[in-house]
Amino acid sequence: MSNFSVLKGEYGTYVDTLSEALQRDDESAFFTAVDNIVHMREPKMFAEIRKLTGDLQKALDRFSIESRLADIAEHEIPGARARLTHVINMTDEAAHRTLDLVERSGPLAERTSREAGALLDAFAAFRERATGRGFEGIARSVEAFLPLVRAMEAFLPAARTDSEQIRRNLADVLLAQGYQDLTGQIIRSVIKLVEELEQALGNLANLSGGLVEHATLGENPNAGHGPVVPGVTEGEVASAQTDVDALLSGLGM
Amino acid sequence: MSKDMKFLVVDDFSTMRRIIKNLLHDLGYSNVTEADDGKTALPMLQAGSFDFLITDWNMPGMPGLDLLKAVRADSKLAKMPVMMLTAEAKRDQIVEAAKAGVNGYVIKPFTAETLKEKLDKILGAGK
Repeated sequence: MSNFSVLKGEYGTYVDTLSEALQRDDESAFFTAVDNIVHMREPKMFAEIRKLTGDLQKALDRFSIESRLADIAEHEIPGARARLTHVINMTDEAAHRTLDLVERSGPLAERTSREAGALLDAFAAFRERATGRGFEGIARSVEAFLPLVRAMEAFLPAARTDSEQIRRNLADVLLAQGYQDLTGQIIRSVIKLVEELEQALGNLANLSGGLVEHATLGENPNAGHGPVVPGVTEGEVASAQTDVDALLSGLGM
Repeated sequence: MSKDMKFLVVDDFSTMRRIIKNLLHDLGYSNVTEADDGKTALPMLQAGSFDFLITDWNMPGMPGLDLLKAVRADSKLAKMPVMMLTAEAKRDQIVEAAKAGVNGYVIKPFTAETLKEKLDKILGAGK
């Protein structure tokens, strides 16, 4: 009962004064004693109220973080997933569009090159045959010139059409790169969400007193890490094919 | 090796498969089949008469390293030349692939020249 002895020591005098004042019908002394007793209780009461307020504030903070996290988990993460899937689709579409145009341009350039080669041969043949002086020479030149003219007549319009088509395809390849702007904006918005999530989780961990357990997902260890990201990928990394070749030749390959 | 040798290109991205297919075509190899991960590729390899495997590493389902190990473990496929064409560039991974028996390792992004050079090297060594 040591606590109670302390209380007796603290309040005993005031209670005695109070009881004496009652017996004497001394109103002023009675209220003074009551005031003294109340003043003694005040600091403890305020400390309790402060503690309660602190707890309430913490609970409210936690609630606000948790409800924000719930909102992120319920709405924004599925949204971000959909946005990133859209990014993959857009890059896929742009890459295929570019590949289409490249595949269509290749044969056109190849044809121009092949026909220009044939024309060069025709020209070489003309130079070889168009020799000699006098009428005979002129006649041979005219005769040799005809196939060359025909070949040129066939080649020039086709070369112009093909080149124009290649130029149009290149312009479309240029336009197809527009995906970078759009996907960049989407990815940036997802980065913003990840930042917010990081902050909310960090705050929650602080409120929990850092009692966060580390957990790892059960992944295939052979799954790979994906492309090297500067500043993120840890460990020794080959930055170019020459590094790979040097490493492999060191291993005897 | 003749130009009509049969290639299997394994990558989860169709654009990358198409790029590799185009490059092989430019090199004169037009017999190219595609698969989108190790799990689809392995039965194709076991069923078909492929001469050369080009595979990515990081794929859903079965990763390229597991495919390489499965190929080396299969007595009918064990000697098939395998080229890893991947963005995985960690030193440990390259060593691991070499230990698993890869014949060539090309990191993305790559050039047509690199692909040709490594391909010729592997095919030359196999003669």
